[in-house]
Parts: sequence; structure tokens; C-alpha cells
Amino acid sequence: MRKCADIAALTLVLAFLPAAAGGSPYYLRLATLALVYMAWTVAFNLIFGHTKQLFLCLNALAGTAGYVAVVLAIQLKLSPWVTVPIGVAAAAGLGALFSYVSVLRGLGVIFLGIVTLAFSLIFHNLVLGLRQFTNGETGLVTRGLGFPLLERPVAGYYVFLAVLLAALLVYHLLMASKSGMAFRALSDDELTAELSGIDVTGYKVLAAAVGSAILGLTGALFAFYNGIVSPSVFSFVGVDIPVLIALLLGGMRTRLGPVLGAVAFALIEELVRPFGQLNVLVYGVLLIVLFTTFRQGLVPVLARASAAFRGTRAPAAASRPAREG
Amino acid sequence: MTAILFDGIVQGLQLSLLAVGITLIYGLGGVLNLAHGQFAVAGGVAAALLLQLGISPVLASLGGIASAGVLGLIVDRTLMLPAYRYRGEERLLLGLILTLGFSFIVDGTLNWKFPEFSLTFRLPVPLMDVAGIPMRTASLAASLIAVLTFAGLFAFLRLTLLGKSIRSIIENEVGAELCGIDPSRTRTLIVCLAAMMAGVAGVTQGLFSSLGTEMGPEFTILGLLVAVVGGVRSINGTLAAGILLGIVNAFASHYVGAYVAYIILLSFAMATILVRPAGLLARFT
Repeated sequence: MRKCADIAALTLVLAFLPAAAGGSPYYLRLATLALVYMAWTVAFNLIFGHTKQLFLCLNALAGTAGYVAVVLAIQLKLSPWVTVPIGVAAAAGLGALFSYVSVLRGLGVIFLGIVTLAFSLIFHNLVLGLRQFTNGETGLVTRGLGFPLLERPVAGYYVFLAVLLAALLVYHLLMASKSGMAFRALSDDELTAELSGIDVTGYKVLAAAVGSAILGLTGALFAFYNGIVSPSVFSFVGVDIPVLIALLLGGMRTRLGPVLGAVAFALIEELVRPFGQLNVLVYGVLLIVLFTTFRQGLVPVLARASAAFRGTRAPAAASRPAREG
Repeated sequence: MTAILFDGIVQGLQLSLLAVGITLIYGLGGVLNLAHGQFAVAGGVAAALLLQLGISPVLASLGGIASAGVLGLIVDRTLMLPAYRYRGEERLLLGLILTLGFSFIVDGTLNWKFPEFSLTFRLPVPLMDVAGIPMRTASLAASLIAVLTFAGLFAFLRLTLLGKSIRSIIENEVGAELCGIDPSRTRTLIVCLAAMMAGVAGVTQGLFSSLGTEMGPEFTILGLLVAVVGGVRSINGTLAAGILLGIVNAFASHYVGAYVAYIILLSFAMATILVRPAGLLARFT
């Protein structure tokens, strides 16, 4: 049970956060947004951290699920309980497709990056172009579409907390099973993993599909929570870049890294908010500084610090250096 | 019909001008430069600032192009150093993230310091007749500049020793090093040159319509698409792909609208990567 102590502590802290926020809607919304980014970063950790697939279309995957769920709910008058799973399936299918095609064609990290970046732009232009369904730049109002739970701030917070915990549970189950071993092997050396009989293609597609499903679920629910869905909600700079920074901050290939990274990122965002437009500049500086000097992330550093504090060596799993490849 | 074709070629030359720098930096430095459009915008902004000081348009343009080159030089000698320590895929990934970060820094700084800033040149004669078709003088001037720049580049690469050594590094970096060529100095030169060509594209954008500080990401993406379709290592391919995509874009914009045209361009690039990763025209160049 010691293995899950960190998650239990995290759950406890997050469960009492709304009470600590003292009913301030502003801070509650910030906390909910942080939960959304945590779940997205957990997904990206699976896709990029563990299986080295550089998806630069996180916004498009989350947005596909969001738009599919909302547009179907409006056009066909379906309940979100039906449309959200359809949206999630669409995102998971797309993620799996990109992964499969990239393995099939032997695309390296960069070419997969370009293909997914192109998809991200196609998504953006499709949303703008299909005005009769998506209402273009203005977006669609999602309030009153049948998700009253998500329209109440505190309830919304707990829905996203549940999503995050579910994502962490899926992550834990994947990593604790045979697939976790495969992820570790193929992130060290793909060829060797393939030669030792690991189905590299299958596990890469699995990681991409599960990750995209988490991205999609969070994105679709966020579309309903947010009250409005527009291209700017799912923009490249608004989703992909923060998630990439949060993952690097927290530490790739660690269980708690995405969570801590997203919290750290949310704090940084809040600090630069008074300066308005400067956030893009800060993103740039963060990307460069993190990638050149802090590639391990917070979690390994904290694990080592706590081990030194206790005067023992950190457990091997926690201090496994997140060597980046 | 012919007017659209001409328009496409004019646009295409601009696209090639942007893309050739990406091709050169990728071929020589092994880095996919995601801040390339920002070089163009930085050059354009520098030119506009010089114009405000009362310097003649031609000198201001040259100054802007030179500033883009200096920016390229600085980036190569400072920011890219961590990436150059690695080789292959590791260098590509690090270079991609570093240039992406740098592009955000440039965008953020420009939007902060010069919001709603734009560069526009006005030519004395707005329209001219070419083969019976009225053409904007600005388009002709921009195309002429692009053609001259390309001619200069080709002459440099084919005829001078330095150009030949550059081509040898694109072919095989280790081999070139064994022949006594210093890849790092040549790389700095090429990044500087590529940034200057982006600067030319930025300044000529001011001739067409106007160059805004927010256009960096769009330039980068368009350049990237052309470079990918042309095959990221072939300069001839990049030139051809730029003109091809320019024509495709002009016809698509005319018949089906801008959004669909952009989607067609993107799908084109995606399909090229999946079907012919070495570039659409790889066989012919």
C-alpha cells in the first residue's frame, strides 16, 4: 500500500482544496483549470514521456472530443452522456491512427511532430471553416445542454478531480502491468525492445490511444464546464505549450510529475498574469531554460531531497533518473 | 485564369524564400528551425524602425535584412549550442524545442514592444501591364527580388569554394569534417544567410501588403510546409515546392475559399511526409 501513499495524500489535499479556497469562485476556477491541465499532462506523459511520440496536436485531440460532444448534443439533441463517449472515442481513434501510421512509415520524432502539428492546424481551420456547425471564431454556448453538474463550480471541481484520479489510476494500472515493463523497455531503446519480443507497435498505439482518450474526456467535459467552446479554448498555445512545460517542470516518466508540474505551471501563470501579454514570452523562456538545464523535472529532485533528509537512499523507482531521449 | 496562375507564382516565390532557409538550416545544422518566420518578422520590424528614423526605403530594407542576419548569428552562437552538442534525433528534438521557445520569446517581445506595428512600402506606380495582364508593381518587384536572391544563392553554392563545402556538409557532415571542413563555422554562416533570406521575405511582405508583428507563426508554418513538401534537404526541391504550393494555394483560395485552401496545403504536407518522406520531387532533383 506504501506505493499509493503519494496518490492518497494528493487526493486528500485536492479534496479539501475547495474548502480552503473559502468559496472564492475565482480561485475555485483556477483550481479546476489546474486539474484539467494535470489530467492533460498525465496523458501527454504516457504519449511523449513513456513512448517518445511527440504529439503536437493535444489541442486538436482534446478539441475534437469537445467539439464532437457539443455539436452532436446541439445538432441531434442528444444527451451529453451519449455524445461525450463518442467524442472520446473519436479522439482515441485519431491518436491511435497517428501512432499507428507513424510506426508503419517509420517517422522519427520530428516528422511525427510535423504531421501532428499539421493536424492541429487542420483542426483549427476546420473549426473556423465549418461555420454552420461550430459558429466559427465566436464559438458555441454549452450551458444548458444537459450537464447541470458541470455548471456548478464546486461540483465541477469534483468532477475534474474524479477525472484526474481516474487518469492516474489508469496510468498506475498500465505501469504496474506488463505494459509498464514494455514502456520502460521501449523508451530506453526501441530496437532492443523489439528484438526481445516486445510488440513495440502495439504498445505505442496503446499508449497513444489511452493518452488521447484521457485528453478527449478532459477536453469534452471542459467544453461543457467552460460554458462556451471556441477555437481559442483549444488553441496550440493554450493547450500544447502549457502541457509540455508542465511535463518538463514536473518530470517526465514519473507518476506525480504531471500533477506537480501543472501546479507549478499554474502558479507561474498566476504570477505573470498582471503583466498581460507577457505570458507568451515567459512560455518561451521556460521552454528553453527547462529543456537545457532542468530536464529531470521536480519529482526526481524532490525524491532525492527527501531521501537525503531521511538519511536513506530513495527507492529505486522514485529516483530513477528521467533521462530524456 | 492566367492572372491567378501569375499570382500563385508570385506567392510561391515568397514561400520558397521563407522555406529555403529552413531547408538550409535543417540540411546543414540538423535543426528544424521553428523560429524562422520570426526572423522574417524581426527583419521587417527592424526595416520599419529604420524607415521611421528617416532613412531611405532601400537602405532601410537592407538594414532590416542585415538585422535578421545578425539575429540569426546570435541565435546560432548562443541558443543553439546545447543542441549542437548532440547528434541525430536528440539534436533535432532539442533544436525543435529551443527554436519553438525562441519563437515565443520573439513573438512576446514584439507584441509587447511594438503592438499594432506594421511595415508597408508604397511604390510610385501601383499597376503595370505584363503580357496584357495588369499586375501590381509590388508583386513584380517582390518576385524580382526573390528571383535575384535565389540566383545569388545558387551561384554561391555552385561556384564558390565555400558554397561547395556547404553542399558537402549537407551531403555528409562527418565526411566533410574528414576533408578538413569546419562544420561549426560553416553552420554559423548558413544560419546567418538563412535568417537574411527570411529577412528578405519579411521586407518584401511589406511591399505586397503589410507586415505585422503577429505574422511570425504563420510564416514559420508556411515555410515548414513548403520545406517538407520540397524535401527538407533539397534546395531545388524547396524552390519548386514553393511555386507549386503557391499556385495550388492561389487556385484553391479563388475557388473554394481561404480555410479550405489552407487545409489543402496542410494535407499536402501531411501526405508528402507519409508517402514520400524525402520530398515530393525527390526523384527529379
